[in-house]
Amino acid sequence: MKTLKSFLAVFTLFFICVGANAQTQPKNEQTLEVKTSAVCGMCKKSLEKAMAYEKGVKSSSLDVDSKVLTVVFDSRKTSPDNIRKAINETGYDADSKPASERAYKRLDDCCKKEAGAH
Amino acid sequence: MKTKTAKLLRTLPALLALYILATLPTAAQQLTGKVVANTDSQTPLIGANVAWKGTSIGTSTNANGAFALSLADAVTPEIIVSYIGHKADTITVAGKNNIVVQLTPNNKLQEVVVEGQQARYSSLTPTNSQVITSRDLEKSACCNLAESFETNASVEVSTTDAVSGAKQIQMLGLDGSYTLLTTDNIPALRGLAIPYRLNYLSGTYIESIDIIKGTGSVLNGYESISGQVNVLLKDPEKAERVYFNLYGNSLAKFDANLNLATSVGKKWSTILMLHSNYLGNRVDRNDDDFMDLPIGTQYNVFNKWKFSHDAVVSEFGVNALHENKVGGQLKYKEDIPQEQQLYYGTNSETDRFSAYNKSSYTYPGRPYQSIGLITSVAHYKFKSSYGFRDYDGEQNSGSARLIFQSILGHTGHTYKAGLSYTYDDYTETLTDSTFGRTEHIPGAFLEYIYNNATNLTLVAGSRVDFHSIYGTVFTPRLNVKYDATPNTIFRIAAGKGFRIANPVAENSAILVSSRAIKAKEELKPEEAWNIGGSFTQYFELGGRPGTFVTDYYYTTFDNQVVLDMYSEPTQALFYNLNGRSFSKSFQAELQYEVLKGLDVKTAYKYFDVRTTYNGQLIQKPMIPQHRFFVNLGFATPFDKWRADLTGQYFGLMPLAPIEQDNVHKSERFYTFNTQVSRAFKRWELYAGAENILNYKQENPIIGTDQPFGSNFDASMVWGPITGRVVYAGLRFKID
Repeated sequence: MKTLKSFLAVFTLFFICVGANAQTQPKNEQTLEVKTSAVCGMCKKSLEKAMAYEKGVKSSSLDVDSKVLTVVFDSRKTSPDNIRKAINETGYDADSKPASERAYKRLDDCCKKEAGAH
Repeated sequence: MKTKTAKLLRTLPALLALYILATLPTAAQQLTGKVVANTDSQTPLIGANVAWKGTSIGTSTNANGAFALSLADAVTPEIIVSYIGHKADTITVAGKNNIVVQLTPNNKLQEVVVEGQQARYSSLTPTNSQVITSRDLEKSACCNLAESFETNASVEVSTTDAVSGAKQIQMLGLDGSYTLLTTDNIPALRGLAIPYRLNYLSGTYIESIDIIKGTGSVLNGYESISGQVNVLLKDPEKAERVYFNLYGNSLAKFDANLNLATSVGKKWSTILMLHSNYLGNRVDRNDDDFMDLPIGTQYNVFNKWKFSHDAVVSEFGVNALHENKVGGQLKYKEDIPQEQQLYYGTNSETDRFSAYNKSSYTYPGRPYQSIGLITSVAHYKFKSSYGFRDYDGEQNSGSARLIFQSILGHTGHTYKAGLSYTYDDYTETLTDSTFGRTEHIPGAFLEYIYNNATNLTLVAGSRVDFHSIYGTVFTPRLNVKYDATPNTIFRIAAGKGFRIANPVAENSAILVSSRAIKAKEELKPEEAWNIGGSFTQYFELGGRPGTFVTDYYYTTFDNQVVLDMYSEPTQALFYNLNGRSFSKSFQAELQYEVLKGLDVKTAYKYFDVRTTYNGQLIQKPMIPQHRFFVNLGFATPFDKWRADLTGQYFGLMPLAPIEQDNVHKSERFYTFNTQVSRAFKRWELYAGAENILNYKQENPIIGTDQPFGSNFDASMVWGPITGRVVYAGLRFKID
């Protein structure tokens, strides 16, 4: 029990440190909103996963109803253009940029534009 | 009094609405609409099913795609619209009297594809099916099909003998030869290729695997008895453009894989898949002077093409492989003939070539109607020697299948009908005797599918084949699925299977022994009935999903080719079943995401497999009655880190007796495998260990001191031979 407690304490400390760390450098953090062609919950999963593997992306969230993907990123490491390109490579339109054709074909049927929002 | 008024006030609008509904003209009491394809042409869909959600009341669309439903039948303001070849949809119709429903087509080979559901336990298939997804495949030590079942509880993989390293799958406690293996739903690696077939499909070729328990559809022939394993190969249209995998383990075995995929113009796409594995290191960890597993090299090439344009989809595939293997005593020299050396060795050289085509045409404006043609050819040839015993074989096969699919009236009643032709030519040489046969098997099949669009699916099929040697074969099969609730599903499967055994090839373990191989009589085809059922319950606990599946299957043989190692310790006798032979298999499996990211799968299995040997009904050797399985899978968000731990418990197994040997039963044992992987955008690194506890069967080979003596036997393998193996590898992908 004692070890568990100390373990928890260390764990909490660790998170506080991480949190503090993140808070000290918000100046390079930017938020980008991109209108995408995502249509369903599955698209949300795949887009957010793809974003998670992008360099410089801190977090991302897709609102399925409005199709808007909100991306928080580090402006020193990446740019809005890079992010839009990454969205295209995942198979979705990003603002005016169309999805890469092969990536679009790879999408599950329910994630394709023709499926309509559902 | 006050509360009563409040209640009344609340119900008043509803009553009013009812009143208005009731007094409206008849036309308005109906929901009318039209179902069209969600394509540029907006083609009306004829015969689409439209039903009120939660009821069995529905209708189908007429020649213009129009339908009408009575509002009085509704329990919720939602309708379910489904149509063959299209994604079903649930639509809210509250406040509407006339609607247009657009359904999106599935661009798939509908008549032949067992859909690759990404959920592990599909609620849609009429058969009891499980799916090993590509994500699951990455959890095991890669490499080939044999390892792909590591994290699955329904299929067991066991080593057949202590020298050749061959691995076999088992389902329902029955040998792998009773399971039909298909790749992209085309029967593959049949006949003589069965003993080593799991080595011939690289893990990197595979998109996902469907495991169907019980006799499935009649479309794929009469051979499946315990079930079907369908391997879906990578789709040229959807595969990664570049996929590279490199693997190495502590035995110094290496695997290299490279997949390249590209689109060629708008209609064509292709994938080239290369695989090679190499083991040059002679490993002997149990100090019996025998290699624990054979050394050797395999080269394997697969090229697949896909053409898709409007209603026509066609796939072509070519596969070629070459493999050589050397096993036996450490000091065995494979370049010196056996007669000129003291050391026992096994040698094998295999070549396989196969090609197939699968084409389908969907009738314009009638997505429920299609015609498909599947053709395949295969050439398989091997030369092998086990000590002084030579065993060579060749099999040439060809098959063609024509399938027509359509509806009877509306999509609630569909049928598939077709014709098939199979040609098989076998030649085998065992020491001095040569035997072989040529089979021509024309056949016809019909499958009827009833679907009431809410909770009942019935698939009744039968086929008649005219076997050139064994005459007419009739194969009936039935699958029923009933959804008691959307989360509670019952399934029943019953049917017959038929197959011609290749006794020596299917029991290659006996070659690695001093037992004399004899057939007591002319061997007849194997025939068996399989009946079983399953119960699936999906649930949610604490916001996380889980599944409970339990099933029971009973297989009974009318005839079986029995391999008798009991009656005579110095012989391996083959004869026709005289008496009973059956398998009873029970399995209960529970899967649940215990904590966010931590998925737990546990299973218990009970087998009772018995055969009549020489007039006595006894337990089949080397099948444990009790087994436990547990898999813990942990993943951080977006799968950046993944860790897996799989544990298995094997109960006691009966063994066949051997002279001057006191071991007649196996031991109870556990095995544990683990893997950790870290994913980056394009890279993925993985490392793991198999058989962490380093459990080894003691003396897997009997009579190692005199391999040419009369007591030598390497076929009594019931446990791991190699002990702990540590591995690491990397994957590189460009989407």
